[in-house]
Amino acid sequence: MPAEKCHAFPAIYAGFVTGVTVTGDSYHCGSSLTLINQNVMESATQPSCYYCEFRPDRLFCDMPVDALQLLDTVKSLAIHPKGSVLFAEGRPARGIFVLCDGRAKLSICSETGKRLMLRIAGPGEVLGLGAAMSGTPYEISAELLDTSQVMFIRRKDLLKFLRDHSDLCIRVVQMLSQDLHAAYERVRSIGLARTRRPRAAQAD
Amino acid sequence: MKTDRLFCDLPASALQSFEAIKYATAYPKGAVLFVEGQAPRGIFVLCKGRVKLSICSTDGKTLILKIAESGEVLGLSATISGKPYELTAETVDPCQINFVKREDFLRFLREHSEACLRVAEQLSEKYNTACREIRSLGLSHSAAEKLARLLLDWSARNGEANKQEPRVKLALTHEEIAQMIGTSRETVTRLFAELKKRQIVQAKGSTLVIRNKAALKSLATV
Repeated sequence: MPAEKCHAFPAIYAGFVTGVTVTGDSYHCGSSLTLINQNVMESATQPSCYYCEFRPDRLFCDMPVDALQLLDTVKSLAIHPKGSVLFAEGRPARGIFVLCDGRAKLSICSETGKRLMLRIAGPGEVLGLGAAMSGTPYEISAELLDTSQVMFIRRKDLLKFLRDHSDLCIRVVQMLSQDLHAAYERVRSIGLARTRRPRAAQAD
Repeated sequence: MKTDRLFCDLPASALQSFEAIKYATAYPKGAVLFVEGQAPRGIFVLCKGRVKLSICSTDGKTLILKIAESGEVLGLSATISGKPYELTAETVDPCQINFVKREDFLRFLREHSEACLRVAEQLSEKYNTACREIRSLGLSHSAAEKLARLLLDWSARNGEANKQEPRVKLALTHEEIAQMIGTSRETVTRLFAELKKRQIVQAKGSTLVIRNKAALKSLATV
């Protein structure tokens, strides 16, 4: 279950970060050594975003170095298999998902189980942003179309992160505006089409 | 006045600089704040009154997305992204509105991270309603279903949701309700007549009493 995987990483990280803050005077302490070992292991599974070759091209990821360092402490990277559901509509928003590679299908569902596809999200996109910012349940569902590496940031960490870095906050606001534009475009195409037939044609 | 509003309840320093860049204006009923497709001039903070937000197709069909109430910020996403306004905003009542020019607003956001977070919240809320609109337009079968959902929505917003017989004040004409759910005026009139005949709702002047909430709910989830 990928969702549990996501939760496990920040827990290890929190342990590590508190370990570092006390290493100053606990040099001989055995436990701090194991923590440092853990750090080495962690950096193997959690490469820093600093070295990502795609970073400069991506709106969310292209951030200043100090913000990147902070991001490395709050993010958790995981490979999710194709077809896994990142989040489902109506579930409480745990945080945001950044697609490092691969694509995800965004859809919306009626109470009776009918599904309407909204769009396909590509690499570099941030998913679940609106719900995470407002703390409301996810308004759409996201399902991976490819086996993808996904970065997860918990809601609490994200809000703190944005409060500390106002330039990033503006970027988040820009991304939300883009999402909203796309949603209104969709409302227009569905709501103002003359018959059901052209709606179906526009759905793809 | 400013406490329960998402955008007005800012720290004192931010409020002060907001005061400096805002233009307070009064608009009469029926005034158009902005039209879809226009280049964004700035944001409109609705202090008092209601504003109708709609989108239009090229052949002139109108779809009302929402009636915005006081405290809401209009034209936000267009102002931030610099793309043309995606909606048309028209006042329903005489309105008290604060206008902020685009460049002033962007500078204000850069300087006040707290305000920036608020804006993100507002945008998320709007995104949420847009998604609900897509769901109701794209996934419901009949106009009856959409009308039932609209009535339930309205009763929930007035804090009447838990009452046995919720009351809904109909502030819109049948024509406007038709534009909200994407159908014709005639259909709305026919549906209302049907609901009344089946004793599901009862009209008392401009107030609608939902007599049979269970029946309306089952209509909404066909």
